[in-house]
Amino acid sequence: MQLSELKPGTYAKISDLSQIDRVIRRRLMDLGITVGEKICYKSSMPFGGPCMFESCGECIGIRRSEADCILVECE
Amino acid sequence: MTLEFALFGNPNTGKTSLFNLLTGSYAFVGNWTGVTVEKKIGRLKDNLGTLVDLPGLYAMSPLSKDESVATTFLLENDFSAMINIIDASQLARNLQLTIELLEFGKPAVIALNMLDVAKHRGISIDDQKLSELLNVPVLPVVARSGRGCHAVMETMAHLKDVKKSYFSLDYGFDIEKAIGSLESIMPDVKMNKRWLAIQYLEGNQVVVDFVRLSADSLEAARIAERLNRTFAGRSRSITAAEWIHHVRKRYINRILAKVVNKKEEASSSISTKIDAFVTNRFLGIPLFFGVMYLIFHATFNWIGNPFSNILDAFFSGPLTDWTRTVLEWMGVVPFIRDVILNGIIAGVGGVIVFVPQIFVLFFFISWIEDSGYMARVALVMDRLMQAVGLNGKAFIPLVIGFGCNIPGVMAARTIEQPKERLLTVLISPLMSCSARLTVYSLFAGVFFAKYQALVVLSLYFLSIVMAMIMAKIFSMFMKKEKSVFVIEMPPYRIPNLQTILQSTWDKAKGFVKKATTFILGGTIFVWLLSYTGPGGVNVDIQQSFLALACSSIAPIVAPLGFGTWQAASALVTGFLAKESVVSTLGIIYHASGDGSLNESIRQAFTPLQAYSFMVFTLLYIPCMSTVPAIKHEVGTAKLTLFTIGYCVILAYLISFIFYRTGLLLGF
Repeated sequence: MQLSELKPGTYAKISDLSQIDRVIRRRLMDLGITVGEKICYKSSMPFGGPCMFESCGECIGIRRSEADCILVECE
Repeated sequence: MTLEFALFGNPNTGKTSLFNLLTGSYAFVGNWTGVTVEKKIGRLKDNLGTLVDLPGLYAMSPLSKDESVATTFLLENDFSAMINIIDASQLARNLQLTIELLEFGKPAVIALNMLDVAKHRGISIDDQKLSELLNVPVLPVVARSGRGCHAVMETMAHLKDVKKSYFSLDYGFDIEKAIGSLESIMPDVKMNKRWLAIQYLEGNQVVVDFVRLSADSLEAARIAERLNRTFAGRSRSITAAEWIHHVRKRYINRILAKVVNKKEEASSSISTKIDAFVTNRFLGIPLFFGVMYLIFHATFNWIGNPFSNILDAFFSGPLTDWTRTVLEWMGVVPFIRDVILNGIIAGVGGVIVFVPQIFVLFFFISWIEDSGYMARVALVMDRLMQAVGLNGKAFIPLVIGFGCNIPGVMAARTIEQPKERLLTVLISPLMSCSARLTVYSLFAGVFFAKYQALVVLSLYFLSIVMAMIMAKIFSMFMKKEKSVFVIEMPPYRIPNLQTILQSTWDKAKGFVKKATTFILGGTIFVWLLSYTGPGGVNVDIQQSFLALACSSIAPIVAPLGFGTWQAASALVTGFLAKESVVSTLGIIYHASGDGSLNESIRQAFTPLQAYSFMVFTLLYIPCMSTVPAIKHEVGTAKLTLFTIGYCVILAYLISFIFYRTGLLLGF
């Protein structure tokens, strides 16, 4: 399922990042966020604005369309 | 021989704080990614040598312009040793960069910062063990308070005696083979060829360009291509660069297992609780505007104006009288006396009286920068920025531009996409900098005393709205490019009062310095123009060169409601620095001798004209110091001239609309 489908505050495991934009994937990799890491969806901004998630002890903001490309598995 | 050290580290790990402590100088510190956009050089304490502060980066391969500075530095500079500052609470990702630095093969020392944050999260780290495993000195520091910095200095002093440590990871058969082939074709440079080869395979653009210039680039490209094909052929879709990252991560995890002791996960932190409000779906944007309003209200109504009035009273009263008495007692010629009393005190004094407002505004901007709120603002504003072809990160340079446009223009370098970066630079002169604040303080104080905060806030609001509209228009004429947005939210910190005061002083210092050099010179020049005329010296100001020259410009701005030569000359000198608008008005109205500046202005303008004048000053031209900064970022003279040109036209248009609509509405 997509990251943005998670209920805010719940944790899941990243299962796929291959659909995401190259630059963003690189930056997420820099931050240690790779397949297999735990991720927690936190909140989103109105009018289709960006959303915030937490992974590897770090809060990160990305756009909704990108968050849709992060696939996760609930444990 | 003096030693040269270079300071590397992830963004927001306290690099700049450490730099300031080690060099005893003061550079700007903030709690957001990208505080340092260009390398800064400082002189180390105890005459140890020099220290270069490089922009923060996660990995050597640059994604944005500021990140390429570090690789370029490694390629082009011969330095003695490096200092790597790492964040103990984010050890896993910080060590990725550490490995790349150790692979470079220069003597290194690691400063382990933020142990307190780590401890708060239930993480304890065995720094001795880490030092043993990596085979480099690891020293715990608290960069914000300065603890442990002395030990770093001592280690640095002895680094030159340490034998060069050789650090190498085995990246597996395929990659090692490619590294070997690349090493053999690398040019004969005094540099670690293995490092160059690895960086090349990771796709580090700076290294790729370097190889293109100095080695058999076709062969190098072929080797990288072959390697990538091998990887693409495997079942898991992973690139060579990602594999290298993966190998490093495995190595790091093995180290972490030995040095990190993690206790119970701490329950939801304070940051999470604050974020529940600050980045709330509905509260986020209103909260931001609320904060801005509070800042302006405090800047003007609560703190700034009372102090400003005291200063003003002092300058126009006792100071003028004392100076006159002293000058008369000394028996100086009337000409000098006039320069000092009517030129310098009236002109520069008119600018200096607004120092309190500027200090207070800078204090709050520094507070926002240090607290971690800035990154949240970028998140909250992203949707709006996206609509005009920008991303939320571009909002940070714009807020910095409220202080001064020059650092604002420079901060645009942290934006990843070239198009968004250019757009941000193009619109940043529209940001209402603190110099323009002097003009608002003067006019709003005279005409809108009761609603000063609101009137000034409306101008700031206008500057943002105009910037957004222009960004939208420009982006329609630019090549389409995918917009990306990723931003880290640093944990909130209670801002350190000393850091904030220092940062406030650092920014406001520039203002005071400008007032006593640049504006002083300009003021004397303007005063001379107003003192002399075709009829000789000490002419009636209406017959002065200043009046004659600016009378020809006045009709052009007359449709905007301020077609007097006085207003025109203020605007002309405003190009030097926006404060000059105030100092010039000070001289002109002082020379005509009708009481105080405030009183003269009240008679010369109607409230509507005053507002139109403020709008025009807000938009009309980037000041003389900002123009080279813009040129540096956009690259061409043509684009620089375009930036100046569109500002002038826009200012004319908007002031015209405001003034004419105001007249129609009967103001």
